[in-house]
Amino acid sequence: MRRYTPYMLLTPALLFTVFILVYPMAQNLVNSFRDVSLVREGRGWTGLLNYEHVFGDAVFWLAFRNTVVYAVAGTLLALLIGLGLALVLDVHTGKMSSVAAGLYSIPWVISPVVAGFAWKWLLNDHFGILNYWLSSAGIARHGTSWLGNPHTALFCVMVARAWQFYPFAMVMFLAGLQSIPAEQYEAASVDGASPLRKFFHITIPNLRPVSSVLLLLGVIWSFNDFNMVFVMTRGGPINASMVLPVLVREFSFVHFDLGKGSALSVLIFALLVTLSFLYLRVLARRERA
Amino acid sequence: MNAAPLTTGGTMKRIIAGAALVAILGAMLGLSCGRKEDAVELHDWNFGGKPRMIEWLRQRIDTFEQTHRGIRVVQSQKSWNMIRELLYADFSVGTGPDVVNVHANYAAEFGGAGYYYPVNTFPDFQEVRKWFVPHLLESTRYRENYYGLPSSGIAFVLVCNKELFDREGISPPRTWSEFREAARRLTKDTDGDGIVDQYGLVLLGGDKGGFAYRLVPFFFKAGAEIMSDDLKTILFNSPEGVSALQLITDMYQVDHSITPGFLAYQLTEINDLFCSNKVAMSIEGPWFRGMVDDKSPGKKIYTVPVPVPDDRIAGYDTAATLQDMVMYSINARTKHPEQAWELLKYLRNEEADMAWIREDLGAIATTRRALESPEAKNQSDLSLYVHELGHAKPWPPHPSMIAIASDIFTPFAQKAIVGELSPREAMDQAAREAQEMIEGKK
Repeated sequence: MRRYTPYMLLTPALLFTVFILVYPMAQNLVNSFRDVSLVREGRGWTGLLNYEHVFGDAVFWLAFRNTVVYAVAGTLLALLIGLGLALVLDVHTGKMSSVAAGLYSIPWVISPVVAGFAWKWLLNDHFGILNYWLSSAGIARHGTSWLGNPHTALFCVMVARAWQFYPFAMVMFLAGLQSIPAEQYEAASVDGASPLRKFFHITIPNLRPVSSVLLLLGVIWSFNDFNMVFVMTRGGPINASMVLPVLVREFSFVHFDLGKGSALSVLIFALLVTLSFLYLRVLARRERA
Repeated sequence: MNAAPLTTGGTMKRIIAGAALVAILGAMLGLSCGRKEDAVELHDWNFGGKPRMIEWLRQRIDTFEQTHRGIRVVQSQKSWNMIRELLYADFSVGTGPDVVNVHANYAAEFGGAGYYYPVNTFPDFQEVRKWFVPHLLESTRYRENYYGLPSSGIAFVLVCNKELFDREGISPPRTWSEFREAARRLTKDTDGDGIVDQYGLVLLGGDKGGFAYRLVPFFFKAGAEIMSDDLKTILFNSPEGVSALQLITDMYQVDHSITPGFLAYQLTEINDLFCSNKVAMSIEGPWFRGMVDDKSPGKKIYTVPVPVPDDRIAGYDTAATLQDMVMYSINARTKHPEQAWELLKYLRNEEADMAWIREDLGAIATTRRALESPEAKNQSDLSLYVHELGHAKPWPPHPSMIAIASDIFTPFAQKAIVGELSPREAMDQAAREAQEMIEGKK
């Protein structure tokens, strides 16, 4: 009896996991090979037809490109801002530094939906504060439409995403900076190294492991991000800011083609699993180092 | 080792409190079980509506429960934004509300899918149908069945900002030339800083369905059709349809009299722009006056028919606009169809419809008695809406129509307006894709 006790104790948690995670994923995988529609009779097994339809859809390729840009460029932007602020906070230690770190972290704890609405209003062409500031400074015309312009909409949601992610990067970079041995900087100073050389030859190499982890995490999270884009643009205008998670919703709950939506979500899942393996490898290498 | 006393003051209190809690829970459970056994429970989902309308509905349901002992109604308020997703998700797994208010053009899509109860099968339907204006009731029909009772008639009209029109000294436009000219004149730099801050027209571009509803009235006014009568051929790419899209495209690209950021706007933004005098015109329905009044009490508007092409001015009073309708329907899988039908009739009978006339609920009455009542003459815009509804046309009753309007018609029309395609190319491509959809190839 004692032998089975651990398994019995684990059973509820395992059942719960199977119910909320394994079963939906398995069903989703099955649906991706079937014709499943909410609006008409499904035609059963269709093999790879849903995948063919996804790859044959021009909006998929546009959304794929947008997602890569949104995830990679948005994360890089967040890392740059995070690194800059971490450097400032690392130099100026003390009470004010803690207060500043707390303030800078606020975007990270705000709900993405709330943040999305806030950004939507900040960027509003007629009532937004951004246009007020830019037009007051003579940089942009008042009434410039940021989210209504197919050329700027994706960039705007990317900036909003970077704004949400940079506090996490900042905290990680700050921890990384504080773990760099002071002796390295002292030795460099003795050798007469300039601050810039110290930055590129000591700080950056020491931060490389944390940067890799942050880049991968940022890309994975952004790749999976639905809220910010949906709240700010719904993938518009004219699909200009369409990303893959929003497209899954379009396929599944606008066109009601669950088969095609499932196929796309399986593709996203495969991509994210690959990225996650990469992340784990980077993490393992870092721990070995 | 000292044994702890079996009961101390604290433990005793806890036992008493625990027993009281169990007793209360037991009583509540007993009461709720008793109620469930006694009463039929109906679930009513109400989508959208002004706060006054929602309050009125609550009161109406309270009186229904008082006058229909044995029926209990659980009401939920929902947003229009996710209506199709919510209904499909629930109906497809056999759940969902017993009674729901929806667009009447869902009759084809949801009725065709077998999700709505055909209300014409109730024995007293022939009596009930006499309450309603016949062509409004027809909007709830798909093939041989009626799938609901009309709740609010909607005709799309041109709403003009009276203050801006009066300041410019112009009247609401009747023809497309006048419309373009009015929009041009009302597009201006009002504070002299060299930047345009007031526009002639705004369009609801951020809502794919809503955009189609606002563009199609121009198609109808030009004489274009969306689909053939047998619902087998897409027709919106006719020369008349293309000319309607060309009008809006020219206003955006040549006249610059449409707000540049319209592709991002939802209805709240349209209302904000209108109320703050940033735009002079919008294509709207009966809800708009109430929205404007809530935001800017006392603000005056002109409500007029959507303009017609210059060569069709003779038909200004009879040219069709887009008709929409809200109807109350019953879930085909309800366990209590008779009780749901009683609720439906109670919510939409002639007496209830008089509230649409007496109070500003943002809805247009649909029963003959309400529309012909003396009080109807006092309601703002009612005569215009009734007149427009007299010859307005609904979306063709095809199950794929909503998907075609939102996912094909709108994106291509928007591409034309911003210059990615010509109006002819956009409509031809959209028609090709829509044709594939109705033929089941897409």
